[in-house]
Amino acid sequence: MDYQRKYEKSENKNIKKISIIKYIICVIIIPTVIFIGTKLFDGKKYAFLTAVVVLLSCVPFIISFEKGKNSTEKMVILAVMIALSVFGRYCFSMIPHFKPITAITVITGIYMGGEMGFLCGALAAVLSNFIFGQGPWTPFQMLAWGMTGLIAGLLSRYLKKYMVALAAYGAVSGIIYSMIMDIWSAMWQDGVFNIKRYVACIISGIPTTATYIVSNIIFLLILARPVGRKLERVKLKADIIEKD
Amino acid sequence: MNDKMKIFNTYHPLGLFIYFASAIVITMFMINPVMLTIAIISGIAFVLTLTDIRTFLKNLAYEIPFFILIALTNPLFSHNGVTPLFFLNGNAVTLEAVLYGLDMGIMILGVIYWCKCYSIIVDSEKFIYLFGKAIPKLSLVLSMALKFVPVFKRQYRKISDAQKCFGYYATDSYFDKIRNALRVFSCLITWSLESSIDTSVAMKAKGYGLKGRTHFHNFRFHIRDLFLIAVTLFMDIVVFTGIGTDIIDFRFYPKITQINLNAESIAVYGAFIILMFMPAFLEIKEKIKWKYYVERI
Repeated sequence: MDYQRKYEKSENKNIKKISIIKYIICVIIIPTVIFIGTKLFDGKKYAFLTAVVVLLSCVPFIISFEKGKNSTEKMVILAVMIALSVFGRYCFSMIPHFKPITAITVITGIYMGGEMGFLCGALAAVLSNFIFGQGPWTPFQMLAWGMTGLIAGLLSRYLKKYMVALAAYGAVSGIIYSMIMDIWSAMWQDGVFNIKRYVACIISGIPTTATYIVSNIIFLLILARPVGRKLERVKLKADIIEKD
Repeated sequence: MNDKMKIFNTYHPLGLFIYFASAIVITMFMINPVMLTIAIISGIAFVLTLTDIRTFLKNLAYEIPFFILIALTNPLFSHNGVTPLFFLNGNAVTLEAVLYGLDMGIMILGVIYWCKCYSIIVDSEKFIYLFGKAIPKLSLVLSMALKFVPVFKRQYRKISDAQKCFGYYATDSYFDKIRNALRVFSCLITWSLESSIDTSVAMKAKGYGLKGRTHFHNFRFHIRDLFLIAVTLFMDIVVFTGIGTDIIDFRFYPKITQINLNAESIAVYGAFIILMFMPAFLEIKEKIKWKYYVERI
């Protein structure tokens, strides 16, 4: 009993520590990096700076998963969802850009909470790039996929109920994903953000974006309900209680 | 060819990570064409020692159009510079912008080659070892997910074969293929979620999360790793001093400046050559050694 109380106390302390670290990163570290970076590179080569800031903005989620209370079941389910989204790229590799990573990230976000959704998307990006090639674009993919999972978690009440909302979210997440990635492709060429070049990137990427939208909607409509049922069942079976 | 046969692969992950981080970051920051030429030639040399020439040429078919695209589109978006070549829709296409586009194309190709080498050398095992101490839970999740991918592949084939035996979707039509893939995928999800619970029960039974557990890894820190890190950091200091003090400064806009070729800048170029050609040199040295020993037998 005594041990239990001690454990809970240290847990609470841990949670407090996490929120302090999160605030430090958001309020102090990121602005400092931006300030020093703009001074250092004065007006050119912002691409690297952007990649660093993007990577830093993923760190709070990683820290809160590391230090937070997480059961083994949750970890294993997260691993399964990541592996499924990476593997999905194989199953559907016959059609270019037609991949279920976004859909599975969204489903994880809806049924397992926003944090798990973020981690599923971000880690799926890291992992699939071990196969498809790491590069400076990895942090951008991490953030883009992670955010789709996080927002899905926040909107889970509506996305669970209405199929229309789900399809709309799939379309929007496809557009947002390619817009975030186009920021990178536009900046990567000469290091500064040129709005004309960005627009050109978006326009030339329309076919890809359309494929993303179609694949997201198809996968979400087909997979969301059955996979959701399976996740709910496993959650019940493994006794995972969500505290949000 | 086996990746495990490469000498650079046997170095300690820490040294490798520092090395690749500095090589890629320095290449990303460069504008100076001499430095970029060094970066791309060394990157190609390193890629060639790691992969066979056929894959290299096959990838080149994608990379050259990409390079041309970057080089050609830059003058369309950027009208800086003082030497107009011709006018397009009332906007000047300048010599500076064309050359800057070429320069950026070389930079991007260099970074792509170095990232390719990074992907080959620093594989997931090394990555997880490196970050295992900082993010123990997530690196466990990553390594579990890595293990699940081939397991799922096998299971997918099993389910798919079973479904075909039932006679489901055995036709060659495109639509049926997609429906089959989705159906098998759904079965796979059920199976994997169920078996994941078994995994977590087994993990708990074996005491995951208790204090005092250690992890197995096969990396050892040798003197040569220390040597690699020391050389890398020293060359980094030299190159960053060169960048900071404008010794190797080079500008395209508004007018192309002269390439510095005094003693100091040549020292910086030399340091960069040593840094970037180190892995290719080590691989070639090993290859010659191997050939020599084979001939002696």
